Amino acid sequence: MAQNISPEQSGAGGSSKHSDDSLPVKDNHAVSKRLHKELMNLMMANEKGISAFPDGENIFKWVGTIAGPINTVYASQTYRLSLDFPNSYPYAAPVVKFLTPCFHPNVDLQGAICLDILKDKWSALYDVRTILLSIQSLLGEPNNESPLNAQAAMMWNDQKEYKKYLDAFYEKHKDT
Amino acid sequence: MASLEPTQNKTWDLSLYELQRKPQEIITDSTEIAVSPRSLHSELMCPICLDMLKKTMTTKECLHRFCSDCIVTALRSGNKECPTCRKKLVSKRSLRADPNFDLLISKIYPSREEYEAIQEKQMAKFNQAQSQQALVNSINEGIKLQSQNRPQRFRTNKGGGGGGSNNSGGGGGSGGGSATRSGSNAVHAHDTASNDSNSNTNGNDRETRDVTSNNTGSGAAASGAGVGGAGTTAAGASAATNSTAATTTSTAGTSGASTSSSRMQVDDASNPPSIRSTPSPVPSNSSSSKPKRAMSVMTSERSEESESDSQMDCRTEGDSNIDTEGEGNGELGINDEIELVFKPHPTEMSADNQLIRALKDNCIRYIKTTANATVDHLSKYLAMRLTLDLGADLPEACRLLNFCIYVAPQPQQLVILNGNQTLHQVNDKFWKVNKPMEMYYSWKKT
Repeated sequence: MAQNISPEQSGAGGSSKHSDDSLPVKDNHAVSKRLHKELMNLMMANEKGISAFPDGENIFKWVGTIAGPINTVYASQTYRLSLDFPNSYPYAAPVVKFLTPCFHPNVDLQGAICLDILKDKWSALYDVRTILLSIQSLLGEPNNESPLNAQAAMMWNDQKEYKKYLDAFYEKHKDT
Repeated sequence: MASLEPTQNKTWDLSLYELQRKPQEIITDSTEIAVSPRSLHSELMCPICLDMLKKTMTTKECLHRFCSDCIVTALRSGNKECPTCRKKLVSKRSLRADPNFDLLISKIYPSREEYEAIQEKQMAKFNQAQSQQALVNSINEGIKLQSQNRPQRFRTNKGGGGGGSNNSGGGGGSGGGSATRSGSNAVHAHDTASNDSNSNTNGNDRETRDVTSNNTGSGAAASGAGVGGAGTTAAGASAATNSTAATTTSTAGTSGASTSSSRMQVDDASNPPSIRSTPSPVPSNSSSSKPKRAMSVMTSERSEESESDSQMDCRTEGDSNIDTEGEGNGELGINDEIELVFKPHPTEMSADNQLIRALKDNCIRYIKTTANATVDHLSKYLAMRLTLDLGADLPEACRLLNFCIYVAPQPQQLVILNGNQTLHQVNDKFWKVNKPMEMYYSWKKT
């Protein structure tokens, strides 16, 4: 159950540990250094199905893409995501959102993602690569207990119907 | 280790491996064991800052290591658990300092400042190449320059710096006006060496690009990242070998100037060997001998490679690819990239063949390319590449040639390959062993 926490809940829930100002902010240099290293590792690893790159000059804002995991209804679809890194990264999670609208039980219509490791289960060891891989696997294995998109959660059981709706949704929105 | 106190509700589940394993035997004689810098790096790295461990702290129960600063910040800011395995860490008292490990690191990297300086440099290099747009531009620029220079490089005594444009960010200005004197910018010292390897990077990119250029299947984003990856990998690695490169390129540069009797030789000297010969800790006449120590550790992986390389005593551009990416690509990219050794067909392309005569030593080519390139791509690439290399030396009859591509699963057995197979398929079907795939080419005039 604990896999997914609604972003509103955890944000408002008084756990201030993820808000920037309460954290001992290391100097920006250390943060950007780590991000550069991640970028370097990411490019060398050449991971299948995911990619990420800083969005323009700002190393604190990245755009990532994930391919829908094969053997799921999301197979052959690609999603773009934005990653915003706080100054307290990696001690606090980046804000990750879908840029491509995603019809999924744990993603809302604004693209916010409900995933524990981006909230209270964050660890400083997670990085862009593991985040994207986690989101990728979330696509195929939603947590329907705490949905952000109730309609998607309800439809999930009928995979055939779901796929039909999803494909139409994807086609309609993929360019927006 | 430290927690020998009764462990009531703690369980120590040993894995099968842990139950089986025997202690390592202590080495008492002078046996040396080579460890790749990559595997070493992951041991010495703090998983939080991804830097080398600084004031190592080890968790008492799960024995994971972090920099003191990193783990303290992590515990203060997040959950009270081990960032690596989520084991509960109640307070700082769940950690202990690990001076032995610090000692170990200081033995391997005697000077942290040097190490950091190298890192910084590498990073600067990387940053420079990082903007994708800039990268694409510099590749295009490099290709343009190379193709411009190729015919006249030798006549005008200028050029060599195909990718020099890349270097506007932080590479550093060239010292004085001596730059163009010898026809290769490799001659003047340190920073320019990186300049030269930049042009190499471009060359490499180009190799890969040539082969895969028809390959739109995988989507623009992916292929963009691919090119970026290759480029920056090379850039990163070349930065690491910066100072050694300085030494070797300068020799390369001078030899380029002295042997400028044939274009091919100039080509030889001004391009790949600069990187190719980086691996061995070069007896230094370089001004910057300081970082050498750490460097030889960093490059040991590559020297192994180059040893095996030198058995095939022959150079090509592709070769430098293999070496440059020793740092980055070793075990990671294997599935996506394939290394090829490309030789002329033993019977159909015998030594008296026109083309082989024109190519001379150049007939064996080392190529590294993406696994989804097809045999057709290769043959097109080969045709283009050889034409470019030979230019005027190429006998008229050989222009616009088509190549048949073969693979040799066994030494005496050549199998001709169908054009639309990908290299990946060929590799799976015929090769399987973990060394560069050996392929053969012969040409047909049709």
